[in-house]
Amino acid sequence: MITLVHFLTLAAILFTLGVLGIFINRKNVIVILMSIELILLSVNINLVAFSSYLNDIVGQVFALFVLTVAAAEAAIGLAILVIFFRNRGTILVEDINTMKG
Amino acid sequence: MPVETTASGIPIYAVPALGPALPEIIMAVGVLALVLYGALRGERSTGVVTAAAIALMAFTLGFVLTMPAETQITFADAFITDGFARFMKALVLIGAIVALAMSREHFRRAGIDRYEYPLLILLAAIGMMVMISANDLIALYLGLELQSLAAYVIASFHRDNARSTEAGLKYFVLGALASGMLLYGSSLVYGFTGSVSFPEIAAVLTEGANPGVIFGLVFIAAGLAFKVSAVPFHMWTPDVYQGAPTPVTAFFASAPKVAAMALAVRVFMGAFLTIVDQWQQIIVFIAVASMFLGAFAAIGQRDIKRLMAYSSIANIGFALLGLAAGTQQGVEAVLVYMAIYMVMTLGVFACILAMRRGGVELETIDDLAGTARTHPGFAFAMAMLMLSLAGIPPLAGFIGKYYAFWAAVEAGLVVFAVLGVIASVVGAYYYLRIAKIIYFDEPVGAYEPMPGFLRGVMAVSAVFTVGFWLVPAPLVAAAGVAARSLF
Amino acid sequence: MYHAIVFLPLLGFLIAGIFGRMIGPRPSEIVTTSFVAIAALLSWIALFSVGFGDGATTVRIGNWMVSGELAVDWALRIDALTVVMLVVVNTVSALVHLYSIGYMHEDPSRSRFFAYLSLFTFAMLMLVTSDNLVQMFFGWEGVGLASYLLIGFWYQKESANAAAMKAFVVNRVGDFGFALGIFLVFYIFGSTSFDVIFPQVEAFATGEAGADFVFLGLDAQGTLTLACLLLFMGAMGKSAQFLLHTWLPDAMEGPTPVSALIHAATMVTAGVFLVARMSPLFEFAPTALVVVTGIGALTAFFAATVGLVQNDIKRVIAYSTCSQLGYMFVALGLGAYSVGIFHLFTHAFFKALLFLGAGSVIHAMHHEQDMRNMGGLGKVIPLTALMMVIGTIALTGFPFTAGYYSKDAIIEAAYASSAGMSDVAFVAVVIAALFTSFYSWRLFFMTFAGKARWGEGHGHDAHAGHGDDHAHHHDHKPHESPPVMMIPLILLAIGSLVAGFLFKGVFIGDGYEAFWGDALYTRPDNTILVDLHYVPAWVVWSPFVMMAIGFGLAYWMYVRDTSVPARIAQEQPLVYRFLLNKWYFDELYDIIFVRPAKRLGHFLWRTGDGKVIDGMGPDGISARVLDTTSWVVRLQTGYIYHYAFAMLVGAAALVTWYLIAGVR
Repeated sequence: MITLVHFLTLAAILFTLGVLGIFINRKNVIVILMSIELILLSVNINLVAFSSYLNDIVGQVFALFVLTVAAAEAAIGLAILVIFFRNRGTILVEDINTMKG
Repeated sequence: MPVETTASGIPIYAVPALGPALPEIIMAVGVLALVLYGALRGERSTGVVTAAAIALMAFTLGFVLTMPAETQITFADAFITDGFARFMKALVLIGAIVALAMSREHFRRAGIDRYEYPLLILLAAIGMMVMISANDLIALYLGLELQSLAAYVIASFHRDNARSTEAGLKYFVLGALASGMLLYGSSLVYGFTGSVSFPEIAAVLTEGANPGVIFGLVFIAAGLAFKVSAVPFHMWTPDVYQGAPTPVTAFFASAPKVAAMALAVRVFMGAFLTIVDQWQQIIVFIAVASMFLGAFAAIGQRDIKRLMAYSSIANIGFALLGLAAGTQQGVEAVLVYMAIYMVMTLGVFACILAMRRGGVELETIDDLAGTARTHPGFAFAMAMLMLSLAGIPPLAGFIGKYYAFWAAVEAGLVVFAVLGVIASVVGAYYYLRIAKIIYFDEPVGAYEPMPGFLRGVMAVSAVFTVGFWLVPAPLVAAAGVAARSLF
Repeated sequence: MYHAIVFLPLLGFLIAGIFGRMIGPRPSEIVTTSFVAIAALLSWIALFSVGFGDGATTVRIGNWMVSGELAVDWALRIDALTVVMLVVVNTVSALVHLYSIGYMHEDPSRSRFFAYLSLFTFAMLMLVTSDNLVQMFFGWEGVGLASYLLIGFWYQKESANAAAMKAFVVNRVGDFGFALGIFLVFYIFGSTSFDVIFPQVEAFATGEAGADFVFLGLDAQGTLTLACLLLFMGAMGKSAQFLLHTWLPDAMEGPTPVSALIHAATMVTAGVFLVARMSPLFEFAPTALVVVTGIGALTAFFAATVGLVQNDIKRVIAYSTCSQLGYMFVALGLGAYSVGIFHLFTHAFFKALLFLGAGSVIHAMHHEQDMRNMGGLGKVIPLTALMMVIGTIALTGFPFTAGYYSKDAIIEAAYASSAGMSDVAFVAVVIAALFTSFYSWRLFFMTFAGKARWGEGHGHDAHAGHGDDHAHHHDHKPHESPPVMMIPLILLAIGSLVAGFLFKGVFIGDGYEAFWGDALYTRPDNTILVDLHYVPAWVVWSPFVMMAIGFGLAYWMYVRDTSVPARIAQEQPLVYRFLLNKWYFDELYDIIFVRPAKRLGHFLWRTGDGKVIDGMGPDGISARVLDTTSWVVRLQTGYIYHYAFAMLVGAAALVTWYLIAGVR
């Protein structure tokens, strides 16, 4: 029997993976975008699981909104990445540090 | 509201009342029309679109101010307008209008005078208005994202500039992470309270909170703290402020801060007021850390935009101290503080935008040297704003801080109020240093003639800062009315 | 209308102050002068409509601040006392503005001067119209600021700067007391608003409201007395009363119109106004009233003695002002508030006249102020001389002039009163009347009569500082002042002659009740205003006799036999030097306060601050601050993953907090 706890654990693991992906990864910004998607995915799993568990439709509506926004977010992220690459010729995470202090 | 249900039990709602959301709807329709116009006319339309955007926001501002003060709820309890929303929306719109109006000249000189900019500001403004009026977690998220997505783009608006794009990228990545945290927290709160609506969450929490809700609350707090750039979620602020084009920084420092603060008030005072003991510690910690980090880090800066970033971190710390009080008085303090802070910030950025010599934008504080002799009016405005930010009585900044400390003391947070005073003493160091550079260092040379609008903003904000103590009553009374509507 | 009276000068100040350089001096003069003149006309209308018409009113302008129990409004309290002050302030101010157009016509920064004058007028109006102590304090400090700016107007002149600073510092002593008094009143009554305070006083001082009240070991009566004394300390500073008087003579470094406006007619009377305004408090603090009487009498006597031997024409008048203010305080202390205000009212006319007349003389003499270098001017500038005669007879109380009514009323009140110190006060003011007459006529004779002592040699050495701009356009012959300066003199002269006669009835006579209404409070058992009409004839005659003796002495010593003064000075060197050096007050203060303060300051600076505090404090702390800064800044590496890490650590720390601390 798969219970709510299983879903929540899965979501927590995905969330953690996503967050780790953002700050352990030193190579490629694309990976960061993927990690962000992972985080949003974990949230959606949470929402849908709760929605089903609570027998309440709102969670699924929320999840749909999140999906939509995630798509827009990915588009904007990629666009910014492209212009960054045009300027610097690199998308290495380590190279994004002209400003500090 | 008549509630029918389909055969499977899903409720069907009648068309919701649109009246309370009319300002947002007007803005949304307007921005769509302007997108169309801009797309058809191309680059030549920038002037028209900018003017139209300002007019649209001004009209909406007027509309917001004439809306009735009583509380109205619509969109299945997702959207609320009340005195608080009216006050905050007015502030946000004023901030956005001034920031947009200050940008034109600058962008023209930088050669990036495009019609998309006013549109993005408009979209961000709609997002901020939705944030202010959010009454459930979904509206909160949508408003926040609408504002953030527009903000990511305008941060990298100077797309041929490496710094601007780097600022955009950093802002985007960290912002997305913060939204992820906020969302994760929201999902937990939803799951453990069974509702996304703030009043219902509050009703459930009167019986006490379980660890799941607290967990969720912490993540929501983290997401909100990112938006107001409070320690330790502040790291993006200096880099983005420095990298983004200066008018964009001016915008970031003013309206979005106010909106995010309003959202924090909505969440903590609306949904979680009953467990104030739980979150008070978080907010107090964040507030004190922000005040100190902002004050200390600012001392090491030469770049004036970076300095303003740390200054805004410290200032948000003071405002959060008011929020941490968790009382009506605390909310009033937040409102007064944010209003004063916004006026001062816009004034400072008007000054920064006016610093040009030989066609080059000047960005370090050494470029201010001796301006008292070359531009006495400019120097006076800048010095007054700096002294006000430092909290020197009787300037406006002092009065804002005074309200925040007072609210904290009344709520029993005496120790933290004292820490706040110490932090503001440390902070006074760098503000006073700027005043010293302006008045006592050897002048380097005159600036280019300043655009009239910038002069106007400087003059208005300087007069406001210097004269506020004479007539504080209108603002304080309005803030009082706004704060009362929440309780 | 009341808004216009108060805010027109402010508008004038803003226009002349901000745009003065742009629009030039002439428009600045016209704008400020006409605005104040309009305000003056409206003030007279207000005097008649309030004093003889519809009575008192309060115009609320807006809320200033609310902080806990403390709620302060911007408001204009319009009652008989206020309108009298409005008339005095605006009338004299308007005439001084007009006069200054002539007097200052060679000064390059005239627009600044006029801006300051208007600023002063506005602050003074805020002071007299305030309906609470905080707004009054605002005006109080505002006039202090304007006075400082105007005394130091010729900032190239070192003595002017020193005098400005002295005025500022001495006034701070008084203001400190005033502020403490406000705090104490707020502590007692929980408000600073007059409308709230005054009705409570009686119950507090005598009834049960204050029965259990203890403050620093004082009961209700004692606390009220303390509050009154503290308020009076403020009044002493502003009105240059004994012990705090030292700034006033030095303030004569400012331009003469300033002396006429600020240091004769208006600002220095603020203390008198304050005590009159707070009469409901003072009435219930008899001990405080005795102090007021004593200080007033002492000042009246002391300042008059010093005035006897001064040689600077303005300083004589300054000491005279000091002395006359003492008279006013005597009247207040005896409970005859309206008499004090009446003297304030008449004094404003003749003292402004004397100052402006002196200014006219100084103008004629190309900024020579030493009377020993004058003489014989009566033939050269006859109109000014006539004006000075009128001013002098009004001051000395020649029958039917303004001073005759008001000053004699004070002397009679002093005799009639049975309050403490009233006997001393009577003797002091009668003797002071003799001295007043003597020094006034001495001034007149030294300036206008006898042989001319000007001409060759002297003239320009005394004013080297600012005089450069003024001097070299002229030949050295004294000349009559232009009409723009004479018109104010003539108007003031008319006032000096008739103001007492016209207003005697309503101020202190039968019309008393109807005119003052509730503006001045006297307890039912205070009958001084009636009693003063029933004094023996010799008391009534005594001021006149004193005046006559004084005139005779002055005539004998300075016209008939001019060697007498020098001989007396030689025979009585001790007395002469004592008076000439103003009872050695400046020297005394120098020894008691200034030098020890300097030594202490030096010690604290070198040893305390430099070695102890800087070493451990600022220098040490600032080094630590910079260390912290560099550490904090190093955290900001610029790498996204570090930033994300910080966020995660933050969130993790907060979550851990709850896991460890537990959900409460």
